[in-house]
Amino acid sequence: MDEPSKTNTLSIPIAIVIAGALIAGAVYMGISSKAGSAENQQPQVAEQQTGNLDQMAAVTNEDHIRGNPNAPVTIVEYSDYECPFCKSFHPTMQRIVDEYGDKVAWVYRHFPLDSIHSKARAEAVATECAAELGGNDAFWQFTDRFFELTPSNNRTDIATVLPQIAREIGLNEQQFTTCLASGKYDDHIQANLDNGIATGGNGTPWSIVVTANGKKYPLSGAQSYATVKQLIDLALSEN
Amino acid sequence: MKNYIINLQAAWSEVFSRTSYIVGAAALALIVFVFAVLLPNLALLNEVVFGSSAPLATKVNLTLSLFGGISTNFSTLSAIYTILIAVLVGVNVAMIVYLVRKRSAMLGQKGLLAGASGVASGALGVGCAACGSFLLSTILASFGAGAALAILPLKGGEFGIASVALLGLTLGIVSNKIAEPLVCEPKENNYD
Repeated sequence: MDEPSKTNTLSIPIAIVIAGALIAGAVYMGISSKAGSAENQQPQVAEQQTGNLDQMAAVTNEDHIRGNPNAPVTIVEYSDYECPFCKSFHPTMQRIVDEYGDKVAWVYRHFPLDSIHSKARAEAVATECAAELGGNDAFWQFTDRFFELTPSNNRTDIATVLPQIAREIGLNEQQFTTCLASGKYDDHIQANLDNGIATGGNGTPWSIVVTANGKKYPLSGAQSYATVKQLIDLALSEN
Repeated sequence: MKNYIINLQAAWSEVFSRTSYIVGAAALALIVFVFAVLLPNLALLNEVVFGSSAPLATKVNLTLSLFGGISTNFSTLSAIYTILIAVLVGVNVAMIVYLVRKRSAMLGQKGLLAGASGVASGALGVGCAACGSFLLSTILASFGAGAALAILPLKGGEFGIASVALLGLTLGIVSNKIAEPLVCEPKENNYD
């Protein structure tokens, strides 16, 4: 067969890209209509698809904040203790807070993905108990140590690890155990989860960067330090 | 398997001896890869590019930095199958375009079904990069099957692997069509 003309030289790559776009479009439309068809049966799914950053609950005293609570930029992270990407994102956020000092506040909220991480909710309760018994610092000490110690993906031996961390950070172990069984933080954790979904989160880590003038930027996944830094710099420049 | 490889080699040589098909396949593979990596953060990009007063350089740098997500937001397995899916989609579509243009032939239901299944399962698998996956968890939750993910050993990574397999199958079907000789086959009932 002869080599096509110049027109064909251009038209073939374009045809390939267009064909790919058509196939992808058909697949996307097919998936969208399937998911959409179940909206009435599953309100939670409908919320996922219509998430709005403005639904983000205001930061209050019930939140756990690292850094300056009055910082010009706030990063609200919705996280799951058994998610390996949350584990890898945690040092990134620690580095951000260390480097930006008073310019950044990091708010940690719970987003346990029960369907794949059945232990995550109990672990979220444990951090709330740590906060109750030892204050905001204890919450962060517990969380930092938990991500250091545990392997993620639901492989944590919570019967051993949770009391171990409580002991390490100086909490009263008996009170801690009583708190774990009390169920007093169930509503708070569910409220965090519901709010994460309402804002459009459908996987973890899910973060929202808020500028001083209230503008919000969504950040999905364990993005690199470079990405988070650039987004914070952008947020700071808009204040 | 032997025929598969022979036909694939023949089809590959026939299609990709033309630069335009190499360019087209590479461009599509790149687009698929870029889309897969940026997909979780399209809303962020929209806000940054269209809703922010930041300088152009900041917007470009932030967009480029998101490609770092291939190392931080993808497991090794998902990074590998995402790249494979992108390459296979490029090669597949280039071969389909070649087949349709040069032979005026249609792939047939079998080929189209395999191709669509490969791309669809790829979309599901790629979405699994972050915990919970937007597409996969949404769809499974729609059918009340969110817990099904917990049973899967790779927690949804199976969809990416299945996609690579299905795209490989499509490649075989298209290669067969390209490699088979051009002959006129009589219909059986012509002689009734």
